[in-house]
Amino acid sequence: MKIFKQKIRQALNDQVLQAALDANAERRNAARLTALASLPINYEEAQEQAYKIRKNVIDNLEKYLELFIQNAKANGLIVHTAENAIQAREIILGIAKNNNAKLIAKSKSMVSEEILLNQCLEDSGIQTVETDLGEYIIQLRGEHPSHIITPAVHLLRNQVGETFQKKLGIPYTTDIPILTQAARKTLRKIFLDADIGISGVNFGVAESGTLCIITNEGNGRMVTTMPKIHVALMGIERIVPTLEDLVKMLDLLPRSATGQETTVYTQFIHSPRSNNDLDGPLKRHLILVDNGRRNTNKSPIQDVLLCIRCGACINACPVFREIGGHAYIGEKGEFTPYPGPIGSVISPALFGESKFGHLAQVCSLCGACKEACPINIDLPNLLLRVRAGGKEIHSKKQNFQPRGLTAPLIYSLRIFSFIMQHPKLLLVLQKTLGLFSTIFSLGKPWINLPPFSGWGYSKDIPTPVKHPFREQWVKKAISFKEPPGNFKPSHALMDQQKSLHGGSKRKSLSVKNRTILIHKFEREFTTLDGKFYICSKDTLADKVIELLKSLKTEQIISWNVRGKFEKIIDSLIENNIAINLCMPSNAKVGLTGVTAAVAETGSIMLTSGEGKPLSASLLPETHIAILYAEDIYPRLENVLTLPEVKNASASVLISGPSRTADIEMTLTIGVHGPREVIVICAT
Amino acid sequence: MNNTVQLFATCLIDTLKPKIGEAVVHVLNHVGTQVEFPLEQTCCGQPAFNAGMRSQARKMAEHTIQVFEKSQNPIIIPSGSCTSMIRHSYLELFSGDETWLHRAQNLAARTYEFTEFLVDILGVEDLDVSFPHKITYHPSCHLLRNLGIDRQPRTLLANIRDAEFIELPHATDCCGFGGVFSADQPEISTAMLNRKIENIISTSAPYVITCDTGCLLNISGGVHRKKLPQKVLHIAEILDNFKT
Repeated sequence: MKIFKQKIRQALNDQVLQAALDANAERRNAARLTALASLPINYEEAQEQAYKIRKNVIDNLEKYLELFIQNAKANGLIVHTAENAIQAREIILGIAKNNNAKLIAKSKSMVSEEILLNQCLEDSGIQTVETDLGEYIIQLRGEHPSHIITPAVHLLRNQVGETFQKKLGIPYTTDIPILTQAARKTLRKIFLDADIGISGVNFGVAESGTLCIITNEGNGRMVTTMPKIHVALMGIERIVPTLEDLVKMLDLLPRSATGQETTVYTQFIHSPRSNNDLDGPLKRHLILVDNGRRNTNKSPIQDVLLCIRCGACINACPVFREIGGHAYIGEKGEFTPYPGPIGSVISPALFGESKFGHLAQVCSLCGACKEACPINIDLPNLLLRVRAGGKEIHSKKQNFQPRGLTAPLIYSLRIFSFIMQHPKLLLVLQKTLGLFSTIFSLGKPWINLPPFSGWGYSKDIPTPVKHPFREQWVKKAISFKEPPGNFKPSHALMDQQKSLHGGSKRKSLSVKNRTILIHKFEREFTTLDGKFYICSKDTLADKVIELLKSLKTEQIISWNVRGKFEKIIDSLIENNIAINLCMPSNAKVGLTGVTAAVAETGSIMLTSGEGKPLSASLLPETHIAILYAEDIYPRLENVLTLPEVKNASASVLISGPSRTADIEMTLTIGVHGPREVIVICAT
Repeated sequence: MNNTVQLFATCLIDTLKPKIGEAVVHVLNHVGTQVEFPLEQTCCGQPAFNAGMRSQARKMAEHTIQVFEKSQNPIIIPSGSCTSMIRHSYLELFSGDETWLHRAQNLAARTYEFTEFLVDILGVEDLDVSFPHKITYHPSCHLLRNLGIDRQPRTLLANIRDAEFIELPHATDCCGFGGVFSADQPEISTAMLNRKIENIISTSAPYVITCDTGCLLNISGGVHRKKLPQKVLHIAEILDNFKT
C-alpha cells in the first residue's frame, strides 16, 4: 500500500503529467460528446441496444465462442485457445520458433500487455517492435502504457523529442509532424522486414468468423497485411453475434474512444491470403485468451466483461485526471495495463483481488464513468462490489475487511455502525461530542483537524453542535411555520427518473436519392481530409492521367481487375505509366477501385482478391481510389452484407488519410498509411 | 387527504448542521405539509456500504427500514446521496433476500429527495422567496447521476426573486467528497476540491447552493481552510427566505 500511496503523491506533484492529463480530459470528453451527437439514433437507445447485445454474449459465452471458432476455422484461420497468460505466451513462442522469427511487428493489443508478451519475446531473443506511435514512444522509453487508447497520454511533445533524439538519433525537435515522420521512416522498414505481425482484435463476429480491427495510423493494416504470418490476440469475451451487431458497436466505439465517427481503417479479416490474392499473410493464427475471464463471468462482477475498451470512462474519471494511469498499481507495485474506473474492476477480476482489490477504493463514486460508458456498464456498482469482496460478496460476513482501507478507518466504521443501530446511545454521544468540541474549538464554529485525520489534510470541519437536531425536535426548539395556503400533496408514486440525456428520437438517414448520397459521401469524406473529384464515366481515364501527371509519377502500384477498371489501365499504359501489381518500394501512388462506399461516414471499402493488392491502398504516400457512383450505400450495414465483402479474405474500410493524435492529442496526418487519399467519383 | 411526511434528516444534518434540518421543516410547512420526525432514525448505512462493509451497512439499513415503515407517509430526505442509497443501493444490499427486499422496495417507493418532492410531487416551483445576491449551484453527483434530479433544484433557484444565478463552470465535476474516499484519499480529494473551488471563485458568486450536506461540508471546509469569503448553503436554507 505504501508504494501505491507514493505513486499517487508522485503523480499529483508532477506538473508535466498534470498538464498532460488536463489536456486529455478536456479535449477527449468534448470530442466524445460532439461525435455522439452525430449518432444515427438517440444515444440512450444506442447504449441500450449495445448493452443487450453484449449482455447476451456474456450470458451465452460458450455458445457464441463455439460458433465463432467454428466459422473462423472454416475461413482458414488457425485457432488456438489459451487458459492463461503462460499458455498464451507459449503458443506465440511456438509459432515464432516454428517460423524462425527474428523480428516481430506489433500493433496495439491490450491482451498482449496483459500477458506481458513483449518481455517474453525479447527474453527469447526475438526483437519485438511496437508500431502504434504511442506504444512505440513508450517502448523506446522503457515505460508501460498509461491509458488503454492513448498509451503515451502522460507525455508532452518535448519528452518525445528528447526520446527520439536519444533513441533514433534525429536532431531534437518538438515539431509533431517531424517526429511522426521519423517514426514512419523507422517503422516502415520494420513492417517490411518483420517475420510475424501481431495484432489485437476489437471484435470477433460469431456468425461469420470475422475479425474486426480498427486503427487510425495504418500500423494495424501493416502488421496484418505485410508479414508472412499474422497472429491475432483476442480476449474470449470480445464477440458480437452478427455483422448487424458489429455495425452497432462500430457506431459507438470510435466515437467514445477518440471522438471520431469512424476510425481511418476498419478491417474485416476472414482468412489468410487466398490463391487469387496478391498479398496478405500466408497464415493467420487466432489466439483466444481466457486469463480469468470465464471465472469472472461466474461472479457478481461479470458485467465488466461487457467492456469494449473504448477508454471513455478513463477520460471522464476525475480521479484518473488527477493521478494518471501509472498510479494504478498492485499492492506491492504489480503492473496492470488497465487503469481508471474500468481498470479498477478488470484488474482485480483478472489478476486477483488480493493484489488489485484496493484500486476500487480510489474512487469518489461520482458516476461520471457510467455516464460515459457506451455500453451502459454500471461501473460504480461494480466498484462497490469489488470493495465488498468482488467475486465473493460477504454481505453477512461480520469481520470482512475491505481491501485498501486503513485499520483505523475500518474500526471507526464498525463503531459508527454500532452506534447507528442505537438511537439513544447516538444522542448521548452526539451531546458529548458537541460539548467536547465546543470546548476544544473554544466556542468557534470551525475545527481545524490535523492532517493525519484525512479530512484535516485540506479542510476544516464545522464544530459538532451541543444540541443535535433530534434533541431540538423533542424540546420543540424547531420552529414550525403555518402554511399560507392550501397545498394538497398528491403522493402518487412517481416514475423513476430518466437520466439526463433525454430528447427526441432522431430520424434515421433519409438519403435515398443517388445525388444526395454522392453529396453526403463527398461532405463526410472531405471533412476527413480526403480529396474528392467528380467526373463522367467517359472522362474518367483522362481525369486519372491528369491527376497522375500533376503528382509527377510514372510508376504506380495498382489494382488490375477485369471489367470497367481494365479500360483505365489500358489508357494508363498508353500514356507510359508503369503499372505494378506488387509493391515497388519507390511507387509513390497507389491506384485502386472501390468495392463499395458508405455515405454516412465518407468511407470506402476495399476488398482483397484477384488483381486487388491490399498494399496498393496502404504503402504509397498517395492513394487514388476510383468510385462508381452506383457503389455508394447509405450505411455500413448495407455494405457488410455484400457478397464481395463477405467472401474476401480481408477487406478494409478507409475513412481518409492515415492519422494519429498520440502526441499531445495533436492531429497529424500521414503516419504509416497514405498521407493523401483521393476519390474520383464517376457518374 | 393526508399531508404529513416523515423527515429523514440524515446523520450529518442531525449532528453537524441542524439549522439545515430546521430550514427543511420550514419549507415543508410553508407548502402545507406537516412534518413528522421519527426519533429512532439514525443513518441510512451508506458510509459502511460504500466502504464495502455490507454486513454493517445491512444492519443500519434494516434499522432504517424498521423506523420508517411504522408509518406509510412519504419519507423526505434533504440529500440526493441518502435518497439514492435507499432507492438503489438497498435493492443491491438485500438482493437474494426476498423478505427484506420487499420491505426495502416498499420504502424506496415512497422516499423522495427534498427538491424532487417539492417540484414533482407537490408541483411547487416558486416559493416566493427573495435572496438579493449572486448565487451559483453545485449539482451533487448522486443527485444528478443516480437520481437524475437537476431540473427540480434549478427551477426552484431560478424562481428566487432578486437573485442573480451564475452557472458554475464544469458544474458536474465531482467536488471530491465521496464519503470515506475523502478521508481515505485526502490528497486526491483535495486536488478535486481545489478545482471545484477555483471554478466557484471564477463565478464571483458569494453563495454556492447544493442539495447534499456531504458536498456542503467538503466545499465549505475547503473554503474556510483557505480563508475565502464564499458561503455554501443547502438549498433549504436559501428557500427558507419567504417574503410572506
